[in-house]
Amino acid sequence: MAALNLGQPDRVPWVENDIEEVLQIQLMGGRTNYTPGELCRVLGMDGFGYHFPTGAAGVAGQALQTSKSVKEAFYFPKRITFDFVPPWIAEMGVEPGGRTFIKKGLLVDRASLELFDEFLPDPDHPARYEQVAKWIEQYREDYAVFARIRLGTASTIESMGLGVFSLMLYDDPDLVKEIHRRFSEWTVRVVENLNKLAFDFYWANDDHADTKMPWVNLGMYEEFLYPFQKMVADAIKKPWAFHSDGNLVPILDGLLKLGMNAIHPIQPAAMDIGKIKAQYGSRVCIIGNIDLDYTLTLGTPQQVDGEVKERIEVAGKDGGYIISSANSLTDYCKIENVRAMAKAVKKYGTYQGAR
Amino acid sequence: MTDMLETIRDDCIRGRRAELLRAVNLALASGIGAETVMTQALIPAMSVVGERYSTGEYFLAEMMLGARAMSEAMQLLEPHLAQGTYETKARVVLGTVAGDYHDIGKNIVGMMLQGGGYEVVDLGVDVSPQSFVEAIAREKPRLVLMSALLTLTMEGMRATVQALVGAGVRERVVVGIGGAPLTQNFADEIGADFYAADAHDCVVKCNQLLHSGA
Repeated sequence: MAALNLGQPDRVPWVENDIEEVLQIQLMGGRTNYTPGELCRVLGMDGFGYHFPTGAAGVAGQALQTSKSVKEAFYFPKRITFDFVPPWIAEMGVEPGGRTFIKKGLLVDRASLELFDEFLPDPDHPARYEQVAKWIEQYREDYAVFARIRLGTASTIESMGLGVFSLMLYDDPDLVKEIHRRFSEWTVRVVENLNKLAFDFYWANDDHADTKMPWVNLGMYEEFLYPFQKMVADAIKKPWAFHSDGNLVPILDGLLKLGMNAIHPIQPAAMDIGKIKAQYGSRVCIIGNIDLDYTLTLGTPQQVDGEVKERIEVAGKDGGYIISSANSLTDYCKIENVRAMAKAVKKYGTYQGAR
Repeated sequence: MTDMLETIRDDCIRGRRAELLRAVNLALASGIGAETVMTQALIPAMSVVGERYSTGEYFLAEMMLGARAMSEAMQLLEPHLAQGTYETKARVVLGTVAGDYHDIGKNIVGMMLQGGGYEVVDLGVDVSPQSFVEAIAREKPRLVLMSALLTLTMEGMRATVQALVGAGVRERVVVGIGGAPLTQNFADEIGADFYAADAHDCVVKCNQLLHSGA
């Protein structure tokens, strides 16, 4: 938490936005029924959120969204989870390995607005909050616990489809704003309930960009996205981290007006963590960015070790830095590389003078 | 005629579809040939759109507006083109590789290639190596382009190139790859002909390779 508040703790903390369940099970030696704290101790991590297999087979995918019964799954989670993201309003597919993916966004015109009632759970239904409150109390130990939320932008873009979203910015701008408003208002209600629980921070996941650039320019960001994101930001009463993949530089000054405590992951193929630290490190904590395109997935433990050392040197100076992968620990990361990351964080992560 | 073609180019670059369709109809009614409209107005316009997207002047929305306007203008022109001697530059088979369900990058490339004068056959997502082989036999393309967004799935490109070799069709096509985790080194490693950094780069490289007689 010191790092989130731009302080320098005794060592560089490590927290991941997600560790896919299949990888979790591998790290736990094949066990499926373990506590979040046990997983954190295996890796040397400082916090957790996301979801855990809880005795079942590992499942990947965003918040375990299935194509059926999204409301029931939200109200009565069957696995340990700390996620409070809305379901995609989309036609979902399932890969052979069980990972869900979005086939097609369903919010394509004004008539489709009625799908909000069909898909979005009641954000004030008490059941999920009561269950998660118990899990926080049961599993917290000494770890920082975070809830994953969305500001509404990812929900808007994915539920419309990026192509439809892009064209509707011109064809029916009020529709885009209405969709975003509804998703953001839902999250405002969720956050107002979450503020009463014992979470340490929130992690807002809203992709805005690809490797090349944001999907909208700064002017479009300020007109179509920021006002609704601000509604959620204003409701948040705890520290929070903002996640988006890709190159955010053209809109970063706009994003930072939301007042988040940290930005994640500073995707290596898109942004330079050293430049971001130099330019923004006094304003916001940096979380990132051990590479997933190659280092953790195709590289060697030696390369992981070298990259962790380099990142800590570049981004960890004077604190305000939390190390993580460049998105999440996926099930296609090499297990030996994840273990190498754990060793390297422990080896290089102590701040000079701190014991 | 110059003014009309200039108007068509400008409307296409700006993505003004209603104005563009009016301008195209006016040009056709004035006796300007469909092929002239394509080659001297629409294709150059899409090249400008692609360059602006490549340099960051245009973001995704502006690029897609231009591509949509172009696509609708082409639908107006198609009956006229079919009566004439116009030929597309080449046929392209395009797909996201097996196990990968991301399509936006592929879709953008497809739109830009159509705008660049190519005929595009889109195989969709999760396309197996065998499906690419079958598409070559069926569609007889000059180019085969593969997209992948994940490190997990980019090996599908290697498998596809190997499948093309195994089927004896590799030499018939130019193979290009694109997607976030990819590099020219990877393209060289797997035996692809080129890597494209974005949609505009893809069109430029396709043009260069065709011009060089590849």
